Amino acid sequence: MALLKMEDWYDLARETNWTPGYVTEDELFPHPMSNNFDIPVETWETFDEPYKITYRDYVQSQRDKDVGAYSVKAALARADFFRKASPHWKALLALHFSAVCWAEFHSASAFARMTRFSRSPGMRNMATFGTLDEIRHGQIQIYFAYEFLKHDAVFDWCHKSSKTENWIIISLRHALDDIAHTRDATSAAIMLNMGLELAFTNLQFVALSADAAKSGDHSFATMLQSIQTDEARHAQIGEPMVRIMVENGKKKEAQQLVDIAFWRMWKQFAALSGIGMDYYTPLEHREHSLKEFMEEWVIGQFGRTVEALGLDLPWYWDILKHDISTFHHANQIGVYVYRATEWWRPIAGVSPAEREWLEEKYPGWNETYGKCWDTVIENIRNGDYDKTVPVAPPLICNMCGLEVTGIAGGKWKPVNHHVDIDDRRYHFCSEPCKWIFELEPQRYKGHKSIIDRVFDGTIGPEADDFYEYMGQSPAERGVDGYDYQWIDGYDDKSGEAAPVRAAV
Amino acid sequence: MADFPLAVNVQGDYGYKVIVVDDGNTIAEVIDTATDQIVGVLVPPFPEGTVLRARLHDAGEPLDNTVTVKEADLVQMEALVVYAA
Repeated sequence: MALLKMEDWYDLARETNWTPGYVTEDELFPHPMSNNFDIPVETWETFDEPYKITYRDYVQSQRDKDVGAYSVKAALARADFFRKASPHWKALLALHFSAVCWAEFHSASAFARMTRFSRSPGMRNMATFGTLDEIRHGQIQIYFAYEFLKHDAVFDWCHKSSKTENWIIISLRHALDDIAHTRDATSAAIMLNMGLELAFTNLQFVALSADAAKSGDHSFATMLQSIQTDEARHAQIGEPMVRIMVENGKKKEAQQLVDIAFWRMWKQFAALSGIGMDYYTPLEHREHSLKEFMEEWVIGQFGRTVEALGLDLPWYWDILKHDISTFHHANQIGVYVYRATEWWRPIAGVSPAEREWLEEKYPGWNETYGKCWDTVIENIRNGDYDKTVPVAPPLICNMCGLEVTGIAGGKWKPVNHHVDIDDRRYHFCSEPCKWIFELEPQRYKGHKSIIDRVFDGTIGPEADDFYEYMGQSPAERGVDGYDYQWIDGYDDKSGEAAPVRAAV
Repeated sequence: MADFPLAVNVQGDYGYKVIVVDDGNTIAEVIDTATDQIVGVLVPPFPEGTVLRARLHDAGEPLDNTVTVKEADLVQMEALVVYAA
């Protein structure tokens, strides 16, 4: 008997729903897990995703993608790419894998909630694929990352990081918990799909894959492509959800979900991918700056998508346009000078040639952030390595968990926003971070930044107490990825010899 | 007399740092503590003879250098900027 064509049965299958007989609708879909926003189930049942796939086709395509990615990895295993890779690329790989592997794996939980508690059967169907996607993304990335363990123990953090209280992990975990893991299925779908995947990761994986291929890391590039094609599909879940809400009088609620999620993910993207694009990617392989990426793909393309769905651009759009030229530059200084608090080997990425690139892409960089680097460089050239690490810890934003920063150097402009609640001062790096906090202070006020934990006694007073709390043994504390060799370019420029350097 | 954490951004630095002073310290001593930890690390030394002042982040007027942290009514983790007057 011939199989029915997909178009003859697909819609009927994906729209099949049932009326519960043994429990009530509310018991089957409890509000905390399944907020329907007072939209009737018949309306949710109109959910229609643009990217349709059957389970049979899904399994086949996933299998093919796995075969492709693992084949490339096996074929290139002998190429010994990692051993020969520059400290730039090693730092980027370590940062990517240790931040992304577990985040992908945990996303399966958010998609599983959509699979079980979404009000539309079509959406539950799509979320099933999303759950499987995320399990695969976690597994494939940990598998690829672990290939490097024999070369470098830092890749242990691909699995370990999410279980630690390292400050960068706290920051990322807080953001993902907020948008994906502590929201009902409807809100999580909109926040995760619209705020993270559609806005950032789908496009980021395209860009990073291109950079990886140009850097000769074809194994990494193929793996990223394999993941990106999944992201492009399951990120589509959010759009019809938003459309249903907008068309049924819930634009304000949908807008708020998108606005919160996008900003939270922007801050993570700025710190992780922004530093990756503008400092860790080897100069000769850079495709574009973070600013260019954001202007074209996010502010441009994502912005148009948001408006096409009937939403407004987030109220902070002008703040974002400024932030794409500043926030990650300031945070890169912090990531470098507080390098012992990170598990990988951070690099400065400010050799003379790199500074020229930064100045070209961000006019005024030398007069602002470059001034802080001038002082750091001066200390390295003088052999004053201790002075390259500030004694004072940074102030951490009580929303995004990243440093509270402004503009440095000659155009110095300090930035700070705060709220006082219950005799405690909460600091924020930006107006949107403060706005998110003030929407629901009860939700956020109990969280303590790593610095708050130092001052309330959660972390002991000794330096080792701090590192042990963050899960970092002495061997797991970051040191300069180049052992300071990157300043040789400055020596060449001045014609002066550099002092003998010791590893710090 | 008690430890008193403050958030301080010294002119030229890229962001706020947290320093710990005593609530009996004067604002001048707070400025010294902040500059001791940041100048020469993330910002170059100020020209000789530069007079440094501190003000609340949102304030226009500087704090009196001679008053103590307690007398200035600062709250713990107050945000101060230290700048060349």
